[in-house]
Amino acid sequence: MATDLRISNISKIYPGCIANDNVSLQFKSGKIYALLGENGAGKSTLVKILSGVVSPDNGEVFLNEKNLKLSSPLDAKKNKIGMVFQHFNLFETLSVFENLSIDATEDNKSLRVRINEILKKYNFSIDLDVPVLNLSAGQKQKVEIIRCLLRSPKVLIMDEPTSVLTEQETEELFISLKKFCDEGILIIYITHKLKEVLSLCDEVAVMRKGKVVSVSQTQNERVETLANKMVGQKLAKIKKKINISKNKDEIFKVKHLNFYSDDPFETNLVNLNFSVKKGECLGIAGISGNGQNELFQILSGEIITPNTSIIFRNKEIAKLNPKQRREYLMAFSPEDRISQAAVPELKIYENVALNNFKSSNFFEKGLVNEKKIKEHSKKILSDFSVNTDNVELKSQFLSGGNLQKLILGRELITAPELLICYNPTWGLDVGAINYIHETLIKINDQEKSTILISTDTEELLKLSDRIAVIYKGKLSKIMPSEEVTPEKLGVLMGGGSVD
Amino acid sequence: MALYFFTPFIAIILTILGGGIIFYILGFNPIEALKFYFITPISNLYGLSELLLKATPLCLIAIGLSFCFKSNNWNIGAEGQLTFGAIVGGGVALLFYNQEGFYILPLVIIAGAIGGMIFALIPAILKTYFNTNEILVSLMLVYVSKLLLDYLVVGPWSNPEGFNFPETRQFSDSSRMPLLFEGLRIHAGIFLALAAVMLSWFVLYKTYLGFQIKVSGLSLKTAKYAGFKGKTMILVVFMISGACAGLAGVGEITGPIGQLHRMISPDYGFTAIIVAFLGRLNPFGIIFASLVVALTYLGAETAQIFLQIPKYTGQVFQGMILFFLLASDYLLFFKVKILSLKKNEFRH
Repeated sequence: MATDLRISNISKIYPGCIANDNVSLQFKSGKIYALLGENGAGKSTLVKILSGVVSPDNGEVFLNEKNLKLSSPLDAKKNKIGMVFQHFNLFETLSVFENLSIDATEDNKSLRVRINEILKKYNFSIDLDVPVLNLSAGQKQKVEIIRCLLRSPKVLIMDEPTSVLTEQETEELFISLKKFCDEGILIIYITHKLKEVLSLCDEVAVMRKGKVVSVSQTQNERVETLANKMVGQKLAKIKKKINISKNKDEIFKVKHLNFYSDDPFETNLVNLNFSVKKGECLGIAGISGNGQNELFQILSGEIITPNTSIIFRNKEIAKLNPKQRREYLMAFSPEDRISQAAVPELKIYENVALNNFKSSNFFEKGLVNEKKIKEHSKKILSDFSVNTDNVELKSQFLSGGNLQKLILGRELITAPELLICYNPTWGLDVGAINYIHETLIKINDQEKSTILISTDTEELLKLSDRIAVIYKGKLSKIMPSEEVTPEKLGVLMGGGSVD
Repeated sequence: MALYFFTPFIAIILTILGGGIIFYILGFNPIEALKFYFITPISNLYGLSELLLKATPLCLIAIGLSFCFKSNNWNIGAEGQLTFGAIVGGGVALLFYNQEGFYILPLVIIAGAIGGMIFALIPAILKTYFNTNEILVSLMLVYVSKLLLDYLVVGPWSNPEGFNFPETRQFSDSSRMPLLFEGLRIHAGIFLALAAVMLSWFVLYKTYLGFQIKVSGLSLKTAKYAGFKGKTMILVVFMISGACAGLAGVGEITGPIGQLHRMISPDYGFTAIIVAFLGRLNPFGIIFASLVVALTYLGAETAQIFLQIPKYTGQVFQGMILFFLLASDYLLFFKVKILSLKKNEFRH
């Protein structure tokens, strides 16, 4: 039976921001729909309304002309609306089967039969009795999808599903999604990756500032046209001029970096050796979970490893903590903006004070110099075009892009000689990504160095002068970026070897 | 945010209602009983003095605990730190039992603070260097210090002229906290508590240490990233907390008690945990909370006299305060919805 999902005049207002402004959309089964938009465009709110997490202030949702009352996630499930979130809701230490049986309504025997049918039908290969922590991100996602399929959904909503997947896993996902679509499940695909929209979806709705700004067939669209609709302005293309000079000094040199951990969630690092030249950007590619977290923390000084030598500007810094390393003019921008680089509950100026130098005088004789911190914060907000000038604002009210600008601003305003960043544009919208890429290029132009650890190959190819790949805690040889192609990176990231 | 500071009041009102219901079930007129419990004890000057007397150690300890709790360090052993502080301070007082001098009391007080500090350092060091759980260690040390006190007052420190009562000699007058008013028990220890409030407010909100405590409490990952010296901070907050508990212990033995014996504290160290949370870990909130909780001690005593019910009802009230506080917090941050569940909707 065909499914018809209609959203009619939905509005949702949060204090100080209109998340959804009179949104009306119509979806019919047999097609894959993309919901495209920058962060803060209102996609998530709309999805939360559809899955019953948030109630709209106004407007209605109709499924096959029946007015749905979605006041809890349970209502969404009852009405056969399934949802796969970006972050998995699985118990890591329970087995796959236990995870699936938690909210099942039948006995274990018949459940197992049904799960096996689904595995067979869609060609999923997952061992039901291993703990979830042993699965790859792609397999975990499949478990989530199976959980939805068990309830024979009419609508399946996928929220940024590829952010954690490898190229190959993404392809597999797309094949499955097309299959579901052929079977009459209505698929709504939320993303800000333009290429995925074009390769997977039939129709695309673009949201901007809470409004639907365009609905169109993807065959009539190109990456540029979609990007412009999403951002609402023409984006300047940025391209870095490659900046390798053999004679330049090595400013940063890592020797014999080894890291062993008993924690099954951590990756061991095996004998990494590399160096960074003045004014250079060294890119480190890899699929997430191959040791990037550990590498970042060792480079920043959060983890101190024995017998490692890290030379920075001719000084041994391997034993120094992050604060001491900052004194030597290093700066760090971690992947996790919300619980590491900044604290959402703190005010902007308090978050700025986290990067505290002796020369910054934020804390004189152990006392807080609020005036100084606030002045400094104001300068960051204006220099790095953060979308507010209120330093008393709690950081949780900043969008991802603005928060990242604040963090980068905080790290860069001290003119560090080396910036180490890890997935600096993760989850950000095109406008913010562009800004951050421009900023990173500017640093190299000023003869300052960067280490860019990223899972985004496009970003790496755009910004790096040299690239290495990290796979299972080992670093590939370092290649000049003009010799590197996306395909070559893909092979190395998957554990293969080139030449 | 305003609600955040409002829920303690809701909890107190609910506690009073709950207490009324309990009294009713026990066969008392609830209004009368509550009057005996909450009004009678403070209806005269002596009662008010007793209220402040009991609030003083609670406030001191809770102030110290707020440093630990704010930075995600769960020091549950303030009672032990209080006891050990009292042992060390009391030991110094006993050294001077037959001497007079203005310098004795300060020495006793400092010794008590140091004693509490040292005792709090044990769980802190074990946590930072051996990764132990500070909740268990600090809790278990309570019994260590209590048994040590027991041993001392029965054995080596017992009063040679005391007919084998489990208590030490009386301290000399120079080891006693000066009384504030003739005939009332309220003593100068209250100024220690007030000073602790002021000082803690200053440290928590105006210093780098306070900033580090705040950040560590919100996100340990961020604290690590910022390069705060995590271990040092754990040691420092435990030391502050232990010193405050030690001061409270010394305040008791040099104030109303005047010697060491087995029962120097009616579990102030544990009750102060409730005070700290009821006061929202805020220095001024803690003053208010310590007064409220002190009243449950007094009320229990009055109720025992006038209603012939055991004074342990005080603990019932303290328990209810914590219960209702946690419940109101929970209801504040979560929405309750009554769902009609069909069978098989959930399987547990």
